[in-house]
Amino acid sequence: MNKEQFLHQLQLSLRNISVEERQEILQDYEEYFAIGLEEGKTEEEISKALGSPKQIAKELVASARIEKVEHSASAGNIMRAVWAVIGLGFFNLVLVLGPFIGVLALLFAGWVVSLSFILSPLGVLFNIIMGDFWLFDVFSAIGLCGIGIFVGIGMFFATKALTKGFIRYLQFNVSLVKGGLKHD
Amino acid sequence: MNVQFKKGVLELCVLVLVDKKDCYGYELVQKISDQIEISEGSVYPLLRRLTKEEYFTTYLKESTEGPPRKYYALTDKGRNYLHELLAEWVQFSNGVNQLIKEGVNHE
Repeated sequence: MNKEQFLHQLQLSLRNISVEERQEILQDYEEYFAIGLEEGKTEEEISKALGSPKQIAKELVASARIEKVEHSASAGNIMRAVWAVIGLGFFNLVLVLGPFIGVLALLFAGWVVSLSFILSPLGVLFNIIMGDFWLFDVFSAIGLCGIGIFVGIGMFFATKALTKGFIRYLQFNVSLVKGGLKHD
Repeated sequence: MNVQFKKGVLELCVLVLVDKKDCYGYELVQKISDQIEISEGSVYPLLRRLTKEEYFTTYLKESTEGPPRKYYALTDKGRNYLHELLAEWVQFSNGVNQLIKEGVNHE
């Protein structure tokens, strides 16, 4: 692969990140080629030592995605970051997707519990309409509704904390897989 | 050598080299790959990450031959981080060496 092919492949693999960042990265590698050529290496030698542009791009994209999540932790951004980190290697499929699904399931379960508690008075209402009225139901429903609101408040903070924790876990994962060596 | 092992160490190598003096990317890559077999392309993503985390600042400097070069300089935050990593590394490598020594003696 010569310099042009290397940079072209890198550019293609980086198409999903911001233009300025892509320019900066390409500049870094152009500088690398320029100095290597001055030292009498051939373009082929340099690009071979650099390794696969696709693999390099994967690492860069994963970093960029995580950085984006740090700025705004929207569901879409998190999904893209998870996906990019998984792309770094099979190893990460287990290390990232597993905990991600676990955390997601936990949060989902918590919110379902909270919502169903809060909505329990609706069940009593339904029973009343059906002509099946128990005072015990009314009190327990009001109690459940209160608990549900508390669980909901708890879940709000839990969701925030877990999201933050998971982003840090992603960062840790990238720093672990970062660096790389030949034949990765 | 083991993949994961080398990856963590590369960060330490880069920080140590830049602590000694400001370096440009090519220089760093060559110094490291003289000692350890690495994929040279993966040093730049690492440099970018460390710069984003404010461990490095960068500046351009003209060179006598060819285009200007981007130099990396260690910040105070980076120096603190380096010292943390170094302490961890010393503890870790001492531990491993001790285990190896004991293991070999028992053979």
